[in-house]
Amino acid sequence: MTQALIAKTKLADLVSFLALCGKVVGPVPLGHGQFKFAEVRSLAEMALDYIPTILPPKKYFMPQYETLLRYDGADGQQMQAVVEVEELVLFGVHTCDLAGIQCLNVVFSDRPRDLHYMIRKNHITLIGLECSDYCDSYASCAMLRNHLPKGGYDLFFSELSDGYFVDIKTQKGEQLVEESGLFEPVSDAAREQLQELRRAKKQIFRSEVPIRYQDIPRLFDETFDSDVWTRIGEKCLSCGNCTNVCPTCYCFDVMDEPDLDLTRGRRIRVWDSCQHETFAKVAGDESFREQRSDRKRHRFNRKFRYPMKRYKRMFCTGCGRCSRSCMAKIDLKETLGALMEERG
Amino acid sequence: MMERPKVAFFDLSCCEGCQLQVANLGEELLDVLGLIDLVEFREVMSETWEGRYDVAIVEGSVVNEESEQRLREIRRRSDLLIAYGSCATIGGVNGMKNRKPLPEVQQEVYGERADWFPTDRTRPLHQLVKVDYFIHGCPIHPQEFIKVLKSALAGLPYQVPDYAVCVECKFNENVCLYDKGVTCLGPVTRAGCNAWCVNNGNVCYGCRGLVSNPNRAGAEEVLREHGLDAGLIANKMLMYNAAMEPCDE
Repeated sequence: MTQALIAKTKLADLVSFLALCGKVVGPVPLGHGQFKFAEVRSLAEMALDYIPTILPPKKYFMPQYETLLRYDGADGQQMQAVVEVEELVLFGVHTCDLAGIQCLNVVFSDRPRDLHYMIRKNHITLIGLECSDYCDSYASCAMLRNHLPKGGYDLFFSELSDGYFVDIKTQKGEQLVEESGLFEPVSDAAREQLQELRRAKKQIFRSEVPIRYQDIPRLFDETFDSDVWTRIGEKCLSCGNCTNVCPTCYCFDVMDEPDLDLTRGRRIRVWDSCQHETFAKVAGDESFREQRSDRKRHRFNRKFRYPMKRYKRMFCTGCGRCSRSCMAKIDLKETLGALMEERG
Repeated sequence: MMERPKVAFFDLSCCEGCQLQVANLGEELLDVLGLIDLVEFREVMSETWEGRYDVAIVEGSVVNEESEQRLREIRRRSDLLIAYGSCATIGGVNGMKNRKPLPEVQQEVYGERADWFPTDRTRPLHQLVKVDYFIHGCPIHPQEFIKVLKSALAGLPYQVPDYAVCVECKFNENVCLYDKGVTCLGPVTRAGCNAWCVNNGNVCYGCRGLVSNPNRAGAEEVLREHGLDAGLIANKMLMYNAAMEPCDE
């Protein structure tokens, strides 16, 4: 079985079933039109009609503060690698965030492989949820081709009139479908409804910026010395919101935290950001990217140009979080527009 | 067993609330006390110490000749000196008097007996003596105190984060106060408190001081766009940061 159906009336039972098996995480409303992924016990706690959460699900794959090892200096220098891991089901993940996780998978599988990430990832079950319409005007998922599912999940739910069409991608997903006993085989009517949903999406989701996907890296290549960066640099507060909320930003700092006895302790990694002045600083107080404009340009190139060369994919998912959370209202789509205008 | 390091707490001009933060550590206080030999701490004990301090933890800012001399004496007798709390690290609320002529503030506070209380402009400790570690905040964040103390005792540097409170606030997934129609100084204030105030429903007042290279024009523009005029912006910024000198940035 590679596809299944579940009735809407049975969705609550499914969440309860998952919660019995382990920790379930889903989109939870915070008020003020905002959401975050948090542990839930029931469907009622979640808001499946949600705009991108404040932090993307990357926080479950690489936590903000992650212990890498414990050390003990009492007798020589003993070190023990630690992977803090728990079984987790991520429920209701949109396609943009699935794309973000796929980017992280690529990076952390690159040599030297990041075993902490790889091990933790194996303990996370991903249940995706299709968007039938735009979250809000900040999204640019169609330009990045992430408004449709492209894998990276165990199960993927698309909403039909009275149920969900479920795409089963992995053995883990198949097991879930079988063991819960809540799913049924797909009908022709359901298949037709899914096609109708996708047809409707074709009309709704159009590239939000008049540029073709394959032309984006060249745009950044040709506008490296553009004044647009200076103007953006003047506005930027270097608050780091854009990188912290980005589903594909993975830069980190590593530091030792001694216990109170000062001989034992742990080595942790903490999210870091190329937008911080300290990030590009090296010995002798030299900085690779002293100006805010340099740092801002670096972030954009790091999404649209550099990873294309190395990984043949863009590291922007179109989720819109960076624009949504920018204190200075630096907007991704506006920036692309300004660069295109300047290039002519 | 090696002798435990002699540690002492002192207070200059301040409300002494930061010292209470230590007294309120709870169970961790016992661990801390197991690590050090506390020789002076007016807030919790009456003993004093005549010898040399391994670590002196000084709260409050310098606002007159007497406190300046006291600070220099403490520095002379201490191997390490920790500036403790906003008053000590950036001048804090005490710094507000630096924005008015001294006789005027003296008159305002002491009235006709103003002459009895000689006063000077507010200065954070590092403007007078060498400071080895900074623990910012009003009050200090207890977990950061423990971190800095461990660094000092282990002889390691402690890097005060030089990025905005927004970073830690985002880590905690708070709804941005600007999205709630409230303004806060998180975007230009240096982190390290884990966005303590915002986590608990308050705004950031900038008590840890500005990041070392804040985008002033950009921040003022953001605040202006949220309906704050220049005077109010300046007042917000200066509540804690008025005693900063250009060389401190």
